[in-house]
Amino acid sequence: MADPSLRVLVVDDESAIRRYLRTALGAHGYRVLEAADAQTALASAAVERLDLIILDLGLPDLDGVEVTRRLREWTTLPILVLSVRGQEADKIAALDAGADDYLTKPFGAGELLARLRAVARRASSAPDEPVFTQGDLTVDLARRLVLVAGREVALTPTEYDLLRFLVTHAGKALTHLQLLRQVWGPGYEQEQHLLRVNISNLRRKLEPDVARPRYIQTEPGVGYRLRTGP
Amino acid sequence: MPARPDPNHQSAVDRLTRASGPIDVHVVSGQPATIRAGAERSWLPHRPWSRYLNSLLLIVVVTVAGQPLRLFLSPTNVVMLYLAAVVYAAVVWGRGPAILASVLGVLAFDLFFVPPTFTLAVSDTEYVLTFIGLLVVGIVVSTLAAQAREQAEAAYARALQTGQLYDLSRGLAAAAELDELLSVLRRHVEKTFGRQAAILLPDGENLALRAASLDLALDEDERAAADWAFRHATPAGCNTANLSAARLRYLPLSTARGALGVLGVMGPAQPDRHLLPDQVRLLEAFASQGALAIERAELAQQAQQAEVLRAGEKLQAALLNSISHDLRTPLVSITGALSSLQEDSAALDADARRALLDNARGEAERLNRLVGNLLEMTRLEAGAVRVKSELVEVVDLVETGLEQLRDRLGDRPVVVDVPADLPLVPGDFVLLVQVLVNLLDNAFKYSPAAAPVEIRARAAGDAVEIEVADRGPGLPPEDLGRIFNKFYRVQRPGSVTGTGLGLAICKGLVEAHGGRVEAANWPGGGARFVVTLPLPPAAPHG
Repeated sequence: MADPSLRVLVVDDESAIRRYLRTALGAHGYRVLEAADAQTALASAAVERLDLIILDLGLPDLDGVEVTRRLREWTTLPILVLSVRGQEADKIAALDAGADDYLTKPFGAGELLARLRAVARRASSAPDEPVFTQGDLTVDLARRLVLVAGREVALTPTEYDLLRFLVTHAGKALTHLQLLRQVWGPGYEQEQHLLRVNISNLRRKLEPDVARPRYIQTEPGVGYRLRTGP
Repeated sequence: MPARPDPNHQSAVDRLTRASGPIDVHVVSGQPATIRAGAERSWLPHRPWSRYLNSLLLIVVVTVAGQPLRLFLSPTNVVMLYLAAVVYAAVVWGRGPAILASVLGVLAFDLFFVPPTFTLAVSDTEYVLTFIGLLVVGIVVSTLAAQAREQAEAAYARALQTGQLYDLSRGLAAAAELDELLSVLRRHVEKTFGRQAAILLPDGENLALRAASLDLALDEDERAAADWAFRHATPAGCNTANLSAARLRYLPLSTARGALGVLGVMGPAQPDRHLLPDQVRLLEAFASQGALAIERAELAQQAQQAEVLRAGEKLQAALLNSISHDLRTPLVSITGALSSLQEDSAALDADARRALLDNARGEAERLNRLVGNLLEMTRLEAGAVRVKSELVEVVDLVETGLEQLRDRLGDRPVVVDVPADLPLVPGDFVLLVQVLVNLLDNAFKYSPAAAPVEIRARAAGDAVEIEVADRGPGLPPEDLGRIFNKFYRVQRPGSVTGTGLGLAICKGLVEAHGGRVEAANWPGGGARFVVTLPLPPAAPHG
């Protein structure tokens, strides 16, 4: 159950979708504010006290990626973007621009609520938490220690940097661009094979079953996500 | 050159020209082959024999004029007069008359000036040197003069050809369309060579006549020759080595990409009036200029087609985007509501459940409408809509249409003005009601809820006009032209929902009735849609 005081701004030009979200989120105690276009959304984000924004990428007046960019100029408010199949490029651009997560239409209520909870939790949790635990995997950032079922795993410096970036953004979908830029630095944005090789090395060292990764999930066409929660 | 009995045979000149390659072949014809006043070199002497006669007369004049000078001048100086005459003959009449003048000059000098006069005997041997000198000077001077003249003649011919080529390329450059370009090429060939011309371009498997001189028709044999020239990219027809029975000479219009077509030029009107070699070259230059221009026009055309295709693809992509958005949006609410009810029902109270169901049902209806409209549109475009022809009362149409929209009507005032004596309209009742419903639905959507909607009908000549007008903000003027396009929706901040198909379907249905529908704005604001349905031809009065 979410914190009943959480205030969500729903930005979608389709009134039926806003109506649905209002009902479904309202039932879980979210306070839902609505905006039918980007201008209203930007104005609303500036004056209202908000905890979360659900942003449709296909708005009539301004592209959702641009809305994300403008919001990120002044706020770290969690942004969940809604996209449809065929908007992959926009979705990735929105994530690169700083959106926290995405959901592809049509989506189920469970998925929506889970994503919202994850995004809200990440936003509220302390950013410098030194130990990450998920299943058998423990990453102690302060001691540079990676344990699987209590046994220490030796990682190369690049693998460790990659894992550290995933851990500090656990639960968030990270794009190829973000990972490459963060771990390898500018100029490596096109070197997707570096990322693939290191992810597969990490999985071999950390995952109990490489074919069914439990920790490092692939976001098809987008990037990777370190799973949190069950 | 003798006239040959068989004009269909390739001329010796042609063969020689072709075989000579880069070597210039000068043809001196017994009767200069004049082609046309414009192309004729007018300063060429008409009759060569008269030049020799002139030369003879000149020597006579010099001899007579020289007689009195014998008193003052020694004979060796009188030679200078003959020398002047030889130079004059060389410059004006050419080499032959000049040589004649020098020989006659030597004889006349010997006869009339060198003692003993009136005999060819020479008393003083030093005169022999004078004779030889006069003869040599005469020959050398006349040769040089003749060369100068030939060069001048060649330069003139080149200038003329360059001018003609320049005219052609200027004309071709100015032509915008392929057809215009072909007629420019045809006109220039006619003007320059004084002969009829034809241009054939490939059309599918065969060549099609695209431009031809007046009264020029090509029979099977001609087309066969043209076809051969095209396929082999080699000249054919009259005065060529191939299919020379044809009346026209066919030159392939070749570029680096191969033959693009064929230029046909009528053979000589008289058997011996052949084109001169430099004219053949000019004709070939015309053909290659024309070919380049045709290639340019065709490439431009292809580029334009590609552009149209690209624009079409862009439109298709936009349509697809629009449809997928419209199909998916209702599914988001429906899927969401169902999953909320299934996975999350514990959290939902009765109101929330009802709200989800109402929302999902409304969206399902919207989806149904969209799919229905898409199918209707597809049927219309495929021509699968059958229009029944019955006589329909317009007032019935209006009433049925309003009845169907009763739920949407609310308290909105509706003005109906249908004259009682309006003629019956032939058409399909159900389809015409749909036209009206779509127009009314549109009016309801795009005008404030309390604004009146007006339905008027009137007879207009041999047609009936039905008008649906609202008092909303009206149509943006730039949208008037495309409002009936599929999936086109006027952008409104109020986010009116719809499929963008209603008006397109209206248009399709009305056109299936042989009528038309037009959109306009009231001067004071508000949109008007006028459907014009044709009446059958008026029955005779009385």
